[in-house]
Amino acid sequence: MRPPLLEARDLTLRFGGLVALDGVDLTLGHSEILCIIGPNGAGKSTLFNLISGIYRPQRGSVRLEGQDITWLPAHRIAAAGVVRTFQTSRLFNDLTLVDNVVIGMHSRTRTGVLTALLQPRAARRELNTAARRAGELIRSLSEDLYERRNTLAGALPQADRRRLEIARALASDPKMVMLDEPSSGMDDRDTDRLIADIRRIMAQRPGLSFVIIEHDMRLVGAIPERVMVLDYGRKIAEGCYADIRVMPRVQEAYLGQKAAHA
Amino acid sequence: MHGVDITAGPMARRQTGGVVQSVAIVAGLEIGGAALLRTFLLSDATWVVVGLLAVFGAAFAALQIRPRLEEHIAVAFREMRLFALLLGCGIVLIYPFLMQGSSYALHLLITAQLYAVLALALNFQLGSANIPNFATAASYGIGAYSSALLAIHFGISVWLTLPVAAVVATVFGFALGFPAMRTRDTYLALVTIAFGIVIHQLLNNFTWTGGPNGLAGIPAPSILGHSFNSPIILLGFRLPSQANFYYLAAALVALSIVCARLLHHSRVGLAWNALRSDELAARCQGINVVWYKMLAFGVDAFLAAFAGSIYAFYVSYIAPDNFTFLVSVTIMTMVIVGGMDNTFGVIAGAFLLILLPEKLRIFDDYRLLFVGVVVILFLLLRPQGLFPQRPRNYGDH
Amino acid sequence: MDMLLAQHLLNWLVQGSILALVALGFSLLFGVLNVIHFSHGDVSIVGPFVALAVMQYLLVEILPHTWASALILAAAVAIFATGCLGVALDWLVIRRFRTAPAMMALVATVALGAVIRELIRMLYPQGSNPQPFPELMSAQFEIEGLSVPISTLFMFAVSVLMVAGLYVIMHRTPLGMRIRAVAQDRDIARLMGIHPNRIFAATFFIASAVGAIGGIFYASSAGLVRFDFGIQLGLIGFSAAVIGGLGSMHGAIIGSLVLAGIDTLAQATLADGAAYRLVFAFLLVILVLVLRPSGLFGKPVFEKV
Repeated sequence: MRPPLLEARDLTLRFGGLVALDGVDLTLGHSEILCIIGPNGAGKSTLFNLISGIYRPQRGSVRLEGQDITWLPAHRIAAAGVVRTFQTSRLFNDLTLVDNVVIGMHSRTRTGVLTALLQPRAARRELNTAARRAGELIRSLSEDLYERRNTLAGALPQADRRRLEIARALASDPKMVMLDEPSSGMDDRDTDRLIADIRRIMAQRPGLSFVIIEHDMRLVGAIPERVMVLDYGRKIAEGCYADIRVMPRVQEAYLGQKAAHA
Repeated sequence: MHGVDITAGPMARRQTGGVVQSVAIVAGLEIGGAALLRTFLLSDATWVVVGLLAVFGAAFAALQIRPRLEEHIAVAFREMRLFALLLGCGIVLIYPFLMQGSSYALHLLITAQLYAVLALALNFQLGSANIPNFATAASYGIGAYSSALLAIHFGISVWLTLPVAAVVATVFGFALGFPAMRTRDTYLALVTIAFGIVIHQLLNNFTWTGGPNGLAGIPAPSILGHSFNSPIILLGFRLPSQANFYYLAAALVALSIVCARLLHHSRVGLAWNALRSDELAARCQGINVVWYKMLAFGVDAFLAAFAGSIYAFYVSYIAPDNFTFLVSVTIMTMVIVGGMDNTFGVIAGAFLLILLPEKLRIFDDYRLLFVGVVVILFLLLRPQGLFPQRPRNYGDH
Repeated sequence: MDMLLAQHLLNWLVQGSILALVALGFSLLFGVLNVIHFSHGDVSIVGPFVALAVMQYLLVEILPHTWASALILAAAVAIFATGCLGVALDWLVIRRFRTAPAMMALVATVALGAVIRELIRMLYPQGSNPQPFPELMSAQFEIEGLSVPISTLFMFAVSVLMVAGLYVIMHRTPLGMRIRAVAQDRDIARLMGIHPNRIFAATFFIASAVGAIGGIFYASSAGLVRFDFGIQLGLIGFSAAVIGGLGSMHGAIIGSLVLAGIDTLAQATLADGAAYRLVFAFLLVILVLVLRPSGLFGKPVFEKV
């Protein structure tokens, strides 16, 4: 049987005395969307940081298509096809939009110092091809963004920053994308566009999976097949949104405060 | 700059109004700049120097007030790239003939060019990747000492010592970059400071490096029987012997510029820029941050060693005090003042910081004070430097 | 042999404690401001110069023949003035880099150090030359054949007292509480009614004043002082703070003792150890940074993502 795309087992991390994550399991199939919800400090971003290799777990393992990636350096995990966005978007602000996306293709391009110096034509060709592809990728997300492709990323408004971060993540042709609160700082119209974007990307890229940390219940209700609820570093529920939202434990931990917005 | 597409080819091209204008802009700037520099080099009067500075300041202010001007210039140079290149090379080649045989002017030019190379070398780190390296002077020294020792003790041809010295320094560079695996920012800066001091102290203490007295009697190179210590006589012109080293240094500057441009406009340059901008985000894009940092150290050391070798052969006498922490700080200043990650800016910074104190002799005593104040003011008021980094241009796509 | 050993031990302790006075400043400033104040060594060396100037003025103009009281008064003035200089530098330059990238603050304070050195050189009469600096006390006494200069013991005692005093200030006084609150979280401290800028000023005053004492002791034990002594004092003091772990007070002290120990050991055991002292000290710095990037006693930093 084909192993699941991502399989995390028993992930545990403490900061000093504080338990950030306590024995969390996570399984993600191919072409699947999983949403992670939970109150602030529940360990959602910590989970992303463990999977993407920024933090190291004290216990547990992460497997990508059966391969153990728990201890791979972050850049190798990204190259293996696991990419992410950040809660407060971390674009390369002093570079252009195209540059940002071309950097996203880093693990799919080859030029090193010697090639750059000794075979400048090949290096240039590779970079120009990457830039053209980056342009197309940006265009597929937003015509407006494409018009601004040669301006600096630092000048973009919030919603466009999120969009560009998604473009940068997709640039490496990943197997899975982790989105950390993609709708934060967006109004309803932008969130609707985001939902549409994610659906379109799913349709265009068969096999691609998403893990999304989200607060906006509209998005959580609209997109994923599966929702996982974290509270105090533990998984307290998992299932489809309709089931999850009526569970007393979940309402107590999370929806109690947030149900009003849903 | 905000929101305006500043690199769109066709749009900008329409604004320039044709080839003639572009040629005029390129020729005017290159010849004008060369003429101003010549006046500056050959003049002893303080008022001339101050006047030229005023011209420079005015030109710079004009660029500030009218950013469009900068765009026109950039577009003109991009369109007339070949013409600009040929004209530039021509000017560099005939420049020594315009120096009225002044060996002092040539000496200043050589020094400025060697420092331009050092600044370009450091720019790979400080400008492209935001790695503070306070040990460029150490790489410079390692290059100089390696070449000098090989030439003095083993009689190896000067031309052969150049690549050997560069390789030696590059190995040291990678070794220095190794701690980058575990340290960053301030801590990495401290590692480089410590490394620079260790190298300086060792050069000062070893007997085989001549101790504090250094190495003397480094042989001058020669090419096809023409010693670099003898004047160049060409078509009835007689150039002082410094002209030999002027051309050598110019060739090295050209090599450095080519390296800088090729690397900047490649996957490597982008990776450096990414880790300058946000190291963590860069890691998450698949960039091996440690490797790229070490690479920056290696490239820096490689170029700095070339500059060191040529310096050693030029002055034929080197001592540890040519390669101190303060030299590293000076090189850093050139990059900051000129403009991080802007090739032209970095070279301009090197020329300004070498030539200005030389010419403003009345300020001789205040030289370091001047440098210190300038750096602080720049960091406060214009942290991007005189000529800020320009966005990459991928042509029309 | 034993006597030699005792001599070395004494030398080590005194050197280490002088160094600690400077290293503590680096550590304190970093802990509170999160900024490397690289010119702290040069600020510290302003202390002995002010002391010299004041003392000469006093001896000539006001209190001739009262050497001891002139020295004490001069040292007091110098310590206070250097503290004020630290506050002024913060106000003029360093505070403007508080939100800038770490590297910019570093380069700016390196440049600031050059400015301070050059100003000393230009403002002090014949500032380019080394200036003789008096011993604090000239008497010495003997214990079992070992002659101990009183000034050495005095410097050691004062250093220990200063360190103890700093501990008390930081942990037992309202000011210390506020400083630590600002170091922990500037914004929360502000919400609690603490003015961070005043705390920064206070921190600069304390660090610079303590540094000035270190500078005066440094000059006194060397017998002279030159405008550029601050480079070496700063580099070694900063290294000590980094080895111990920036932001940790006892780390700075232990780092100072380690560096002074290496120095003493090199001079005691190697024929030309004195020539290689800096090499060993800075190789150790590199080694510690590579093996324990946050220093011996620093807390590993978790990057917030």
